[in-house]
Amino acid sequence: MKKIIFTPTLLVIAALLTACNSMPTNTSMLDQTRNDYRSAQSNPKVASYAPLEMKQASDAMAKANAAAANNDSTEEIDKLAYLAKQKIALTQEVAKQKSAEADVAKSGTERDKMRLDQRTREADQSRTAANIARGDAAYAQQQTRDAQVRNANLEAQLAELSAKKTERGMVITLGDVLFATDQARLNPEGQRTVQKLAQVLTQNPQRTVLIEGFTDSTGSSAHNQALSERRADSVQLGLLEQGIARNRIAIHGYGEAHPVAGNESTTDRQLNRRVEIVLSEDDGKIRPR
Amino acid sequence: MKMNSRQSVIALCGAVVLASVGCSSMKTPATADVAVSKAAVDNAASAGGAELAPVEMRMAREKMAAANKAMANKDYELASDLANQAQADAKLAQAKAASAKAQAASAALDDDIRILREELQRARK
Repeated sequence: MKKIIFTPTLLVIAALLTACNSMPTNTSMLDQTRNDYRSAQSNPKVASYAPLEMKQASDAMAKANAAAANNDSTEEIDKLAYLAKQKIALTQEVAKQKSAEADVAKSGTERDKMRLDQRTREADQSRTAANIARGDAAYAQQQTRDAQVRNANLEAQLAELSAKKTERGMVITLGDVLFATDQARLNPEGQRTVQKLAQVLTQNPQRTVLIEGFTDSTGSSAHNQALSERRADSVQLGLLEQGIARNRIAIHGYGEAHPVAGNESTTDRQLNRRVEIVLSEDDGKIRPR
Repeated sequence: MKMNSRQSVIALCGAVVLASVGCSSMKTPATADVAVSKAAVDNAASAGGAELAPVEMRMAREKMAAANKAMANKDYELASDLANQAQADAKLAQAKAASAKAQAASAALDDDIRILREELQRARK
């Protein structure tokens, strides 16, 4: 008879145990831990940077879940859940750390590249500046050389024209022999001289000329005045024909004024019959008589 | 299946022996747990845990103190539990400190890059 009572008792106990098993014990700590676990699982950085820590957290989580399924005491469940919770938090921190370290490595490379870019740029800039400076210096030297050559040429040309240095500038004197007697027309020799002068003016475009005509005292002063003006005109015409601009040529007839010799002898009178051409300096200005 | 009294006595003696061995055997692992946890707390402290993870660091120290007290009271199971929790707290504190440092370094570098980029932009103009 003992056996008959024993069997239903066992069944009831078994049924109770099954009921308990199907309703695992839950605690708020466990719930929270499970939430933390889910968010760690869904964090891609955890998967790539902290797989080892995640494994340990998973093991701890499994232990807490098993205790809950086993209907262990809430103290026991909470104890295990707490350990799992801290391990999950650790996993998240390690993932953050490794991710930041990866960023540092990447950013370090980027920064180094940018520094290199900057230095390259600076080097390029200073090289360009040096090239410009060198170019400027070379250009200035070339200018100086050109000016020197021009001056040397000018001196040679002026020497050929027998120019004399005066306080009004270089003065070229076209003597009476370069004109037809008592006429304003230049003879071939005179025309050659005018051509040379035109060349000087072409090569020194900033210079101007003042053409002054003079005669001796023979004849009426009106005639002499007119002759001096016509001879000056004639020289101007010669220059215009050579392509010199009119505004660079000033003319003035002085008649028998400003003789350079006496009017007594033939030789002296011939010296007085002349055209003087005053060449300006680079400023283009000529002081009148 | 009825046991005689002699057998019962033997069984009881065995159970008592087992129980006493079980109890005293808790002392060694608890001592080890406390030692390991103390090392974890020290590591976390030297990694800057007190400044960078003060909450976890404080919890770890309090639990260590409680674990030592339990050891003194010969409550080895409690000592072991507390030591394990202290260890988890300390490790978390250390990880937080390391993570904070790495993030600060990353932010500083990002700042550097931003400034460099601005300078490069200005130089281009």
